[in-house]
Amino acid sequence: MQLAGQLETRVGRGLSQLARLFALFGGLLLVALGAMTVVSILGRRLFNQPIQGDYELVANGCALAVFSFLPLCQLARSHVTVDLLVDRFSTRAKAVFGFLGDLLVTAASWIILRQLYLGFGEKFPYGSDAFRDAFKMGYKPFFAETTYELEIPVWIPYGIAVIGSTLFFVVCLYTVWRSLNWVLAGREEL
Amino acid sequence: MSGIELALTGFGLMLGAIFLRVPIALAMALTGFFGTWYVLGHPQSTLAQLKTLSYESFSNQGLSIIPLFLLMGQFATKTGMSAALFEAANDWLGHRKGGVAMASVGACAGFGAVCGSSLATASTMGQVALPEMRKRGYSESLSTGVLAAGGTLGILIPPSIILVIYAILAEQNIVKLFLAALVPGILAALGYILTVAIYVRLRPGSAETAPRVPYSDRLKTFARTWPVIVIFGLTIGGIIGDWNWGKPGPQALFTPNEAAAFGAIATLVYGILTRQLSWSGFKEAIFETAKTTGMIFFILLGAEIFKTFLALSRAPDLLADWVSTAGFAPLQVLAVMLITYLIFGCVMDSLSMILLTVPIFLPIIETLNFGLTPEETLLWFGVLALVATEVGLITPPVGMNLFIINGVAGDIPMARTYRGVTPFVVSDLLRIGILVAFPAITLWLVQVSF
Repeated sequence: MQLAGQLETRVGRGLSQLARLFALFGGLLLVALGAMTVVSILGRRLFNQPIQGDYELVANGCALAVFSFLPLCQLARSHVTVDLLVDRFSTRAKAVFGFLGDLLVTAASWIILRQLYLGFGEKFPYGSDAFRDAFKMGYKPFFAETTYELEIPVWIPYGIAVIGSTLFFVVCLYTVWRSLNWVLAGREEL
Repeated sequence: MSGIELALTGFGLMLGAIFLRVPIALAMALTGFFGTWYVLGHPQSTLAQLKTLSYESFSNQGLSIIPLFLLMGQFATKTGMSAALFEAANDWLGHRKGGVAMASVGACAGFGAVCGSSLATASTMGQVALPEMRKRGYSESLSTGVLAAGGTLGILIPPSIILVIYAILAEQNIVKLFLAALVPGILAALGYILTVAIYVRLRPGSAETAPRVPYSDRLKTFARTWPVIVIFGLTIGGIIGDWNWGKPGPQALFTPNEAAAFGAIATLVYGILTRQLSWSGFKEAIFETAKTTGMIFFILLGAEIFKTFLALSRAPDLLADWVSTAGFAPLQVLAVMLITYLIFGCVMDSLSMILLTVPIFLPIIETLNFGLTPEETLLWFGVLALVATEVGLITPPVGMNLFIINGVAGDIPMARTYRGVTPFVVSDLLRIGILVAFPAITLWLVQVSF
């Protein structure tokens, strides 16, 4: 018995494609940041002229890469778990604990997404009161917080992080469904 | 509840959850969340903290080195570097008794110099070296044991992800930590080679020898390892060396972050130019990096929340006060800590152990007098903690490297791998003893370089 087994497989395939796409974006971002750093080093060494704000770009870019990596990580069950004890249980009991783990990660991903969105709202300096109320963005900040060197408004990277975080939450919801089906099937099939 | 009781309860509940397969990152986060709630009486402060905590911890400048070094290691696994290293080491050592196993250790050490992860080193070298050992009639337990142990060199020899994290926790200079880890890392490789030599003498028939290779051929295969030598020389050498030729005052070529970026790009370019890295290989490298990075940063976020609770409980300070007034000998305290790592290493991964214990151990270590300066003490302890937690990768029942190698081998019973790795665990324990007895081994290179 399965909970909409065929639909689950199809949704899983779609989400897997999407998660890979996000991961690829993060990876290409890392490569681009690396290339930029190399150019900056050469500039500093040869012409005494590094790229301005290179550190800041790498640090913020890495954060965005991490947010776009989280969905694939959850989908592939790459989080570190200790299976020493549950390996002694039946495959179904083991699947139950996997299900509980996915459930907890989903709760955490919801809290991360919600709070990150509220954080985004506090940094986003636009919109009328009615608009902000409708989207639960809280009080409008008096000034737009920016990064130190390049003065990039931080709501921009926060906004991109919200996108990654949203997919993370959606993938988490799916993994709960998937692991529930594994419990019903009596064993995990990853 | 007193602070200590509170922290102990938290730890107990967390360990319970971990054993019931709750992801370690989450067990830390939950304990931190509910622990803080209990102390303050409301969850609001943690929730408010979380509005910026995830983004700010992920964009920490000290951490951006991690995905870049992981990417470098992943690109390196997709190129022929591992095979070239093994071939060269095998030409030099293969004709000795147990020489192919020794060559595996040497190749692991070489690969560890471009890869900061033990698991990647173990699996990559396993794929190259296992078939060769099989062909030469090496016993199954020796082949898997030596590769699992050799894999730990991935993280002992810089670059090392764990040291990056320790540097942030202990507010120490990452360059000095890499320097401090270098000699112990080489010592580890030599220890493993010595272990192989003793092993094959005690158990004749566990290894055959390969034919001797003439020196001209040896130099030829050695020359083929140039990408590793150049990339290691420029990345790690670029951080720790002096590149201000002829001008007064030392000047490094890179900061560690820049070195990681350079290393990733250099390996990528090498892979593309030699046509060893296809588009699908590139994507695979990115996906592997994504999974490991996601896993590591999720743990870092959990540890961040846990740390708030730990600080609120004041347990680390109370414990440090208690230890310093109780008048234990410094070495006794250190021994207890290292044994804790060894025990927990049997079930936990090294990153989580470092994140959980360093905030507690550091205040204690800082009150103890080992006859070293405060900075030296922290560098030395960092390397000791790294070495001790890495033993956990090869101790049964859940040594990750053992699983990896067993997976690569496919058909070797786990029990045989357990047996094969035992002599290498002994070698690790001896080395920890030596590093504790002679801090100079760790600190010498730092002292001459700074």
